[in-house]
Amino acid sequence: MKKYHAKIIAFYRKAKRMPSYGEIARLLGFKSKNAAYKLVVKMVEAGLVAKDSSGKIIPKRIFGETRVLGTVEAGFPSPAEEELIDTITLDEYLIKNKEATYMLKVSGDSMIDAGIKPGDIVLVERNKPPKNGDIVIAEVDGNWTMKYLRKSGRQITLAPGNKKFKPIVPEDELNIAAVVTAVVRKY
Amino acid sequence: MQDQPLSINSFPRAILHIDGDAFFASCEQSRDPRLKGKPVITGKERGIAASMSYEAKARGVTRAMRLSDIKKICPDAVFLPSDYETYSLLSKRFYEIVRRYTSDVEEYSIDECFADITGLRRPLRMNYSRIAGKIKADLDAELGFTFSAGLGPNKTIAKVGSKWKKPSGLTIIPGYSIHRYLAKKYTEDIWGIGPQTSAYLKKEKVNTALELARKNEEWVREKFTKPIQETWRELNGQFVFELETESKESYASIQKVRTFTPPSRDRGFIFSQLSKNIENACIKLRRYSLSAKSGSFFLKLQNFRYSGIEVKFSRLTSVPNDIVNIARIHFDEMYNSRTLYRATGVTLSKLEEDKNKQLDLFGEAVRSEEMKRLFKGVDEVNDKFGKHTIYLGSSFAANKFSQHLGDRGDAPQRKNLLARGETKRKRLAIPMFVGEVV
Repeated sequence: MKKYHAKIIAFYRKAKRMPSYGEIARLLGFKSKNAAYKLVVKMVEAGLVAKDSSGKIIPKRIFGETRVLGTVEAGFPSPAEEELIDTITLDEYLIKNKEATYMLKVSGDSMIDAGIKPGDIVLVERNKPPKNGDIVIAEVDGNWTMKYLRKSGRQITLAPGNKKFKPIVPEDELNIAAVVTAVVRKY
Repeated sequence: MQDQPLSINSFPRAILHIDGDAFFASCEQSRDPRLKGKPVITGKERGIAASMSYEAKARGVTRAMRLSDIKKICPDAVFLPSDYETYSLLSKRFYEIVRRYTSDVEEYSIDECFADITGLRRPLRMNYSRIAGKIKADLDAELGFTFSAGLGPNKTIAKVGSKWKKPSGLTIIPGYSIHRYLAKKYTEDIWGIGPQTSAYLKKEKVNTALELARKNEEWVREKFTKPIQETWRELNGQFVFELETESKESYASIQKVRTFTPPSRDRGFIFSQLSKNIENACIKLRRYSLSAKSGSFFLKLQNFRYSGIEVKFSRLTSVPNDIVNIARIHFDEMYNSRTLYRATGVTLSKLEEDKNKQLDLFGEAVRSEEMKRLFKGVDEVNDKFGKHTIYLGSSFAANKFSQHLGDRGDAPQRKNLLARGETKRKRLAIPMFVGEVV
């Protein structure tokens, strides 16, 4: 059913509408609309698609959201999670301002104590006012640098998350390009 | 007379034109601090400047200048291969940021757009120039480089505004001030007036845009066709040219051109390049459910001239095999074994939507249905595993090597800077900062 579902999603993404039963039959190589109908019934039961009042197929949880499961109550089955909890995609979870978010591949280990390792991808946001304690991407001597921002009064320090490195006290104006909003590590 | 306004209104319509400053070069500079303040030129793979940073412009580098010539006047220039993937991502963000304010946005080109902000003063609680300023500020801050904006009562005047001060300009031209700006512009600086028209205008003793705007309507009607009459009306502050806010879903023609390095006279190799272009054009045809009725093929010579031919197809098609076969038949009409070539290209035209395809008498339609199914499969495979996973045998030589050998073959940095799980063919749709992180 998963494979069929994927094809129906592909159709939806392309045509911007759900397929009819006839189209599902053709799409999946079924001989009859009836077979398509039976599949749809199963998919409705599984919560993959829904039907509107006139019986046409409408999309449900197909945008690639990750399911968030509610707390498990012993003894009581809880069928309501899906209905009650609005889900968001991993993209939406990690990214607030889509147009201002960029990636940076970490090369050094100056933030290792902050849990950011070489090879990690950090998501950074431009045009976000940096606060004391934020991890920021700044421009220092024609390179990017990623450090904690420490503000005390008018004094600004870029502090590493690694004892082996020294804090940077910028002499001239400091150009902070972006603020780190998330770290992504894929294993 | 000279000081009399062309219009008494300010903004009966408020049209904004926004233009990215040195867009491609700025995309590069904003993601790599090593490039800041340096003369940066993109278009390395083509051998000519596609875009140059303001530092390079200051040194006299102009668009389409050859890299070898640039090196002479600007030895410290940094040449980068075009990274269209990143430029397109940033271009989309550019439109999206403008759409936060109004849905009436025309995506005029990768680095330019028009936006209609008429009537937004009350809901946004700002006057037009503050709205324009706010949009520009958002763009500058979120994309990391500057934009120039012009506000006018129509598209033509908005464009005068965005060009008025560059880089990072914001020029507000209400109807009653148009004449002051047009007095300082030549007719050829006006959007929609080409060199032919301006040469003719010069003969009529019309040099500045203001002189043209001051001509009376009969004179303009008598001497020019409709587009110029409309431009004349816009110069006088009227709103004529509507914004095309629908995103492009139909094409009049589809063109694919690619340069290769080094130049070649090898017939098989050049044909294979052409074949690859045809395949790419057909992929685009199929993506928009279109078929073509005619096409032209051309080869670009080492001396930048072209030789080409135009062919009418016997029926509508989107199958590359058909078109490659036609190209094969006519190839020798444009190819000369003693000449060096540097690019091939194809333009498919007379496009029609697939559904009104006519059936023909001799069963070709049946075969074409089969081919259609075959290429649907090909598209699915390529969707899943990346472009050109399956390609025609005739394109083999073009796919075997990278498009440019030697220095010009350098891939954009993003293609070598991959996150775990990304491949050379598929990457995350988020622009990446590059350079050392210390």
